[in-house]
Parts: sequence; C-alpha cells; structure tokens
Amino acid sequence: MAADTTAARSIVKMKVDEDKIKTLSPHLLMAYSGEPGDTVQFAEYVERNIRLYQIRNLYALRPSAAASWIRRSLAESLRSRRPYSVNLLLGGYDTATHDPHLYWIDYLGTISEVPFAAHGYGSYFALSLLDRGPLEEGLATLKRCIDEVSKRLVVSPGNYKIKVVDKDGVREVEL
Amino acid sequence: MASADGGAYSYSLTVFSPSGKLVQIEHALAAVAQGTTSLGIKATNGIVIATEKKTSSILIDDSVIEKVATICPNIGIVYSGMGPDFRILVTKARKSAQAYWKIYGEYPPTRVLTQEIATVMQQATQSGGVRPYGVSLLVAGWDNHRGPSLYQVDPSGSFWAWKASAIGKNMINAKTFLEKRYNDDISLEDAIHTALLTLKEGFEGQMTEKTIEIGIVTVPTPAELEEGKIGGETGRPRPTFRKLSEEEVRDYLAL
Amino acid sequence: MSIMDHNGGSVIAMVGKDCVAIASDLRLGNQALGISSNFQRIFPVTDRIYLGLPGLATDVATLHERLRFRLNMYTIKEEREIEPETFAHLVSSTLYEHRFGPYFIEPVMAGMSKTPSGGLKPFIAATDLIGCLNFAKDFVVAGTASSKLYGVAEGLWEPDLEPEDLFETISQTLMNAVDRDAFSGWGGIVHVITKDKVITRTLKARMD
Repeated sequence: MAADTTAARSIVKMKVDEDKIKTLSPHLLMAYSGEPGDTVQFAEYVERNIRLYQIRNLYALRPSAAASWIRRSLAESLRSRRPYSVNLLLGGYDTATHDPHLYWIDYLGTISEVPFAAHGYGSYFALSLLDRGPLEEGLATLKRCIDEVSKRLVVSPGNYKIKVVDKDGVREVEL
Repeated sequence: MASADGGAYSYSLTVFSPSGKLVQIEHALAAVAQGTTSLGIKATNGIVIATEKKTSSILIDDSVIEKVATICPNIGIVYSGMGPDFRILVTKARKSAQAYWKIYGEYPPTRVLTQEIATVMQQATQSGGVRPYGVSLLVAGWDNHRGPSLYQVDPSGSFWAWKASAIGKNMINAKTFLEKRYNDDISLEDAIHTALLTLKEGFEGQMTEKTIEIGIVTVPTPAELEEGKIGGETGRPRPTFRKLSEEEVRDYLAL
Repeated sequence: MSIMDHNGGSVIAMVGKDCVAIASDLRLGNQALGISSNFQRIFPVTDRIYLGLPGLATDVATLHERLRFRLNMYTIKEEREIEPETFAHLVSSTLYEHRFGPYFIEPVMAGMSKTPSGGLKPFIAATDLIGCLNFAKDFVVAGTASSKLYGVAEGLWEPDLEPEDLFETISQTLMNAVDRDAFSGWGGIVHVITKDKVITRTLKARMD
C-alpha cells in the first residue's frame, strides 16, 4: 500500500513528509485521501474506534468487519448535514483465515473487495497498469505504478510512503 | 400480601410484594372475574366467540353496545371486564393491524396481532402512572400460515392458544362445561350451539338476540383461496371473521 | 449525469415455466472508470427469493443491510419464511419511508411463491426508487442498461420456457443489452430458481 507524502494547499506544497497511511490494528492499514481536514478527522475517528473495540473485546476486528464498520460510518455521514469527503483503501491480513484483503471505499460509502485499487488522479495510470501487471510481485509492480504516475501525471507528487501488511504485521518499506 | 385492602403494595405503580406477587395484576384479574362471561370455541372449520351483553337498565339502548369487535377482516376479539379499557385496546389493535397492512400489503396473522395486544397490556404493568388493563380477551382469527386460531390474553400480558376457553364471571363453570362438551372434530355449527348452551348455564334472565353477541371465523374453501385474497369488486380481502346479525343469532337460539 | 448512473449496473428478471430467473452484470464503476468486475448486486433473501439492487452502490449495501434487518425481524416474529409477494411489499414500504430523500436503487425481485394448493408458482416484481410496485407477468428490468434490456427481452422472451431455455434467454438478453451500455457489463451472473433448486452461473462477457 502506498500514498504520496505531499500536503498541499492550492498550488503550494506545504509539507513533503505527511503520512497518509494509518495503522488501525496490528494487521490493518488504511490509506486515505480527500478533502483536507476531513481526511485526518475521519481517519483518527476510525483509528480510535477500532482501538476501542480492541480494548473492549481483547481482540482486533477482522478486515471484513472493520471495512463494514467504516463503510457504514461513511454511508451515515453521506446523508448528514455535512458529509466527510474521504476516500479510502483498506488493506489487512486476516489472522483467523490467514488471507489478505483489500477494500476500495469511497466517500459515498461504496465498498468493493478488489485484487488491486487506487484513488485519485494517479488511479487512471495505476489501474490500467495493474490490469496487465503481475500481482505476484507486489512491490515491483507497485514501483512500476509509482514510476508511471511520476512520468505521466502533470501534477505528480515527489515522495511516497509504502507500507506492507502480512502475517507478521505492518512494516514500512523503501523501494 | 393479598389482604382485603390490598396492603401496602396495591397502589399506583405495579410493585412486587415481598412474596413475589404483583397485587395490582391480581386486582385486574378480579375485575375481569366480575365481568360478564365470554367464551370461544375452535371447531374444525372455524371458530366461534360469544358473550352476554347485559345492561344495568332496560332504558339503555343496547343496539349500540359492541362487545365483539372486528379488528381486521380476518380477526375479531371479545372481552370480559371493563368496557372502556376494551375500547382502548380495540383502537390500538385496529391501528396495529392497519400499520401491518401498510408495510406488508396484508393483514397480520392472528398470533402476531395477539402478541402485539399482549405487549400493550404487558407495558401497562411496568410503566409509571398507569394501571393494568382490566380485561381479558379472546382473540379469534384465520390466517394462511396457522389456519384458524383462538388466543386468550390476560391483564398481565400473558397469552395462550386454546381449543376452547371462557373468561369472566362464570369462567370456572363454563370451562368445566366446555371440557365435557368439547371434542376435536366438532363442526362450527355444533360449536355455535355449544357456545349458546354454555352461556345459558350461567345466564341470568332471558337469553335473546339482544342480550348476546356472536362472532365467527370461517375457513375459506380451496376455491376461494385459489381466487386470491382479493374478493369481489371492491378489491378488499375476503373477510374470514364476521359478527352474526341479530336475525342469525335469533335463528340459532330458536334451534 | 444522474446519481442513478454513477456506478452503473443493470438487473433483469424473467418468468419461465415453473421457474424464474434473475441476472445482472458485475461492473462497479466510478462514472466512466471501472473499479471492480466482481461487484455482486443480487442477493439471496430466502431459499427461493432473490433480490437485485441496481443503482447507487453505497445504497446497494445500505439497502441490503436494512432489508436483511427487517427480514430477520419478520422471520423471528412470524416464525416462518416470508413469501415473495409480502417481501415485495416490504421492499416497497422500506423505500417509500424515504420518499423525500430516497435510496437511489430500483430493486428487482424474483422468487417462487406458495399457492393455496401447496404448489409453487413463479413471481417477479420491480419497483422504482420510491417503492412503486410493478408486478409484471413476463419480465422486469432496471439499471443503466434498462432501455436496452427492454428491447432485447421483448424480442427474445416467450412464455413457458423450461429452466435451461430460460437461462439461455436471460443470459443472451443481459449480455447483448449490457454490451450496448457503457456503464454495465464486465461479466455477468444468472440465478435460475426452480421448484427444488437454484442454479447459479457466472457469464463470461466482453471485458471492455
């Protein structure tokens, strides 16, 4: 899972080391993008609630359950006075069934479990590439996506933070 | 703690007595036991519910008194106990049946409606500022799922299904009488006569079409069912519950 | 661009001889961009009722959750499985509850309903997004390809099709209609409900 590290306001880069991927639980990652302000607010809201569940029940929500909860939060927000505009990718490793899951979630509360996913302008390049790319070599393919976005996107961001979640938990990697 | 005046646990809010009784509910049952007798009998091809309609004065116009009430085209109820309390329950039951119709496009099965009424009655035993309903009910109805069914609901909110039951003043005698008379393959016609005979047992004064009320549930024939739930040109469901007219009651009394 | 077309997707249901079929495509999109080619929008309701929910994908999930809740309450309270006609009314009233802020879904239902004599007969229905019921006797369609589905179905459907023929008819109708619709396609799924079983098959379709 990768996200650029740029925080921009209008045409100005304000920060170049922003972490846009939250670790929700030992085996769960959430990358977020969207309206500045909403993103961090919502991500922290999710983070604290997932943590609360873990404290109360002494075990973490499985990826599918966490995805459902997050989706519902967004769907309820959508029909409120001021909805969050946050798009998410949720990646997790299910320690009960020993398999990885990736969910594409948008601000409307749309959810879909997918083999690969992307949000934002980069998604047009990344998805086309992933349609053809080998998914077995995850990190190599991911690097090709980032390179492609850097090459073709007019407003391409400079740096990316990349995190991996597997049976051993979450770790950050450098390409 | 059921002393003559009811003791310290007999007022306002329904509170447990140290012996584990809810004296208010027992008082409500006492109110029911003072009420006029009502009974219901389930037959193979229908159900009859009946009650005596007694007035305290000959000057009262008894033609407008209604003790057997239609809730929806497939369900009717009769009561023993306090008339005004019954009226409230009838209103609530009718509303509940219409609310069900608005969601599912059909009227509720007997059991579901009975449960709904029972819930209303139970809530009165646990809410502040109210007293339990002073009535017992007999609910008779027909539905696709369970066919004809007869339920009794008490002030506590508990309910049971019966083959035959009686409530009110003469319920003990009436039940003994019904136990002797009842058999599993009784027809609706026989059940109506048995109902009249049972009422007659404890009846004071003359039993006429003016002093009793009868409601019956009939089971639709396969042909009627095949035709669908819409009956006639009105587009309404074909009723399976109806009250007998005074003429019909007179005819049954004459036999 | 209408909200109804935001994610794309279409559903169709058809009546056969002692059987019904319901089918849909598998595309989930974000306007013109395809997101998933395995988005399920048809859900089993009971052993012999299936429900298709074409429209806005967030509402597909929300409405499905809501109906599942109301259906579970019904099943527990009534101690029985719901009949297709009753379920159609439940769907309708659930949608009409949100008359002035609707779910952007046009549900399609297919099932086998009990007859008084103990048999089973085919049942299909569809509603608009505020719950106006349409009990058709032949076929019902909904979604971004609905106009095309009407055309093809009108030409291919005939009365009293056996399960296998009904499968062929509904599959061809779906595939040819969604191929002419930019927002539907990317694979398909078909359920044929008969008296004693449900046949589920996925369709290989054009992936462009």
